[in-house]
Amino acid sequence: MSVSDGGVGSERFAARPVIALPPRRRWRREHREWLAAYLFLAPDVIGLLVFLVLPMVLALTMGFFRVSGFGDYTFIGLANYQRLFSDELFVNSVRVTAVYAVVLVIGVYVVSLGLALLVQQRLPLIGLLRSFFFLPHIVSLVVVGFVWQFLLVNRVGVINKVLAAIGLEGRSWLGDPQFALGTVLIVTIWFLMGFYMIVFLAGLQEIPPEYYDAARIDGASFWEMFRSITLPLLRPTSFFVILVTMVAAVAGQQGVDLTVVMTRGGPDRSTSLVTYYVYQQAFEVGDYGYAAAIASFLVVLLLGLTAVLFALTRGGRFEFD
Amino acid sequence: MASTVTNGKIRQDQTVLSRRRMLKVGGAAVAASSAFSMPYVFSRSAAQSEPLTFWQFYSEGAVGTQAQWFATMVDTWNAENETPVRLEFIPPPSEDYYTKLSTAFAAGEGPDIFLLSPSDFLRYANNDALQDLTPFLEEDAKADFYEGVMTTRIVDGKILALPMEVEPIALYYSVPAFQDAGLTEADIPQTWDQLLEVGERLTTGDRYGLLLETRPGGYQVFMWYPWMWMGGGDVTTPDGRQSNFNHPGTVQGLRFWQETIEREIAPRESLGPGSGDVIANLAAGYCAIQNTGIWSIAALRENAPDFEYGVFRLPVPPDGTYTTDAGGWAFAANAEGKNPDAAAQFIVWAIGSMQDDSVQRVVDWCTEAKSDMPPRQSVLEQATAAGAYAEGTLRTFAEEILPGARGEPRTPPEVWQLITDAIQSCQLGGADPARQAEETSQQIEEYLATYEGARIL
Repeated sequence: MSVSDGGVGSERFAARPVIALPPRRRWRREHREWLAAYLFLAPDVIGLLVFLVLPMVLALTMGFFRVSGFGDYTFIGLANYQRLFSDELFVNSVRVTAVYAVVLVIGVYVVSLGLALLVQQRLPLIGLLRSFFFLPHIVSLVVVGFVWQFLLVNRVGVINKVLAAIGLEGRSWLGDPQFALGTVLIVTIWFLMGFYMIVFLAGLQEIPPEYYDAARIDGASFWEMFRSITLPLLRPTSFFVILVTMVAAVAGQQGVDLTVVMTRGGPDRSTSLVTYYVYQQAFEVGDYGYAAAIASFLVVLLLGLTAVLFALTRGGRFEFD
Repeated sequence: MASTVTNGKIRQDQTVLSRRRMLKVGGAAVAASSAFSMPYVFSRSAAQSEPLTFWQFYSEGAVGTQAQWFATMVDTWNAENETPVRLEFIPPPSEDYYTKLSTAFAAGEGPDIFLLSPSDFLRYANNDALQDLTPFLEEDAKADFYEGVMTTRIVDGKILALPMEVEPIALYYSVPAFQDAGLTEADIPQTWDQLLEVGERLTTGDRYGLLLETRPGGYQVFMWYPWMWMGGGDVTTPDGRQSNFNHPGTVQGLRFWQETIEREIAPRESLGPGSGDVIANLAAGYCAIQNTGIWSIAALRENAPDFEYGVFRLPVPPDGTYTTDAGGWAFAANAEGKNPDAAAQFIVWAIGSMQDDSVQRVVDWCTEAKSDMPPRQSVLEQATAAGAYAEGTLRTFAEEILPGARGEPRTPPEVWQLITDAIQSCQLGGADPARQAEETSQQIEEYLATYEGARIL
């Protein structure tokens, strides 16, 4: 005899079809669910705290110390930060980085979008072409630097040989302060273009084709469609590309890697980016505290630039009529 | 989730995997794997703490004889001593050695024994990171090392590193290039003007007449020093307390390096890792004359044995006095390592003892494994008796190039960075050498005003 066949005690349960749990047990169940959620999140959060937040905090703190690199830490307050603005080499590196960032962001945007528009076409072997443009991005930056350095050498490098063959004068592209930064920028854009081409391609494929069909019926030209349909509807993707490229330009690893391999900040400090200057101060001079202060300055600068970008785009929200 | 009600109690179906069960299983798996790996972690760390680590850039390098020399040395020590030494290859200075070494010390994990150059010496000496080798050296051995070589490795009477070699700088020339230009040994330049003249005759559409170091850094400064010294210039006054960088000899040296670029006799870039690589540049036909050091003899012997070349000492400027820079690496022991005393004993046993095997080891390094001048009198005598410096380019180094050489200075990185910036500005940026020398001298002066450390030599 059980509750279900109307046996002993069944009248109590018939009046209350839903069994109410005592309050103490309900609170423990919800608590257990919270606990489960936090435990699932814990590995990721711990990883972020240990490998991202903690090093950032330590690096920011180190900027207030003189660090010998042999275990000695001496608190010096704001001395490292005060030194920043009287350091001509640092000021030079900020100038170089500003030029580098502006040209890189614009260059990557234009080249990648152009490639995305090209490979969006339904043509034979277009997949092969997409892979070809993406290929540079999978090569190690150190290898990229060495290969391009070899190609660009004056007189004997392939680039100058080709230029000579078509009647143009070759240059020392990495040995002349007038050309070195531009050359490094071209190599960097070549390295990054494939990745952002894919990003733009995804954005282009989100645009409904009916808009273009309607525009063609109305007699719109390619440029009119590009200006009125493609660019506006690509705003979210554009925002992402500009933001990420800007961060990469100011604080990205590719700047240090290519500079170390190709120019070591020369010739005559013409390619000395802020990130490379941080590397020099830390690992060549051994002034870790000052290097940390410069890195902290970079963080603040990036936060400021990102805030400006978000403010201009109203928090990155894009609404379409 | 399935459940049944029995006697007023709700029971959950135990066969369905619940969140709680999954968490329990997952936690048990993590704990089990950690417990399993613990013995491995402890035993591995225990095993690793025993041998003394020796960081160097030869044991897997391009020259087989040099790698073998290090291996034989360590094997011999390990066979006879309780505390073993383990070689660890770090990429050479042209790539990553300095960075890895400084990073390791910053992390408190510096090697027990390592190679140290004069340009990096003060960084470690000023931070008490070097073990004093003096108590482990015999008096005869101390006297056996040349004073000019040892001075930059001594602080307050303590010997903090033992040199393994002396590496003077010279100019190497390509015999085929000379022949193509109609030049002979009689045309080997003795003065700077002659060097420019010969360089122009050797320059063609595919080849530069002369190669000087253009990549910024400590190596460029090392190669440029003698071009300053020959005119009487120097970085500091003899007491190391004031800058002497605005000397006319300095301006002259900066001006000469600038002129080689302006006249397109020398390139703005070298091939490979830099002008220290004679195979990528001279032997490859990129240049006809290359400013490099004695180590290039061994490199050519191993990698381009059929290449015909010659060497000559650096030409002198008007009213100048010949000299050259004699660099070279030294063995050093980490004062905070696992066993600094054992590390010091190894170093002295290896290259600083008066025992026959120690002397022979340095002879082998300087004359067979590599091509260097010896840092010790007994080694020079033994090598000379064996005919090592009797002929060829080593004889030229011994008789013509080394006499008059000056040991590589020990300057802090803050100073040599200022110097390389000055060289870059003039050589590649076209700056006025006099103005640049004055500006750099003031910067060096500002640095010296707050410098606290061993004397800059």
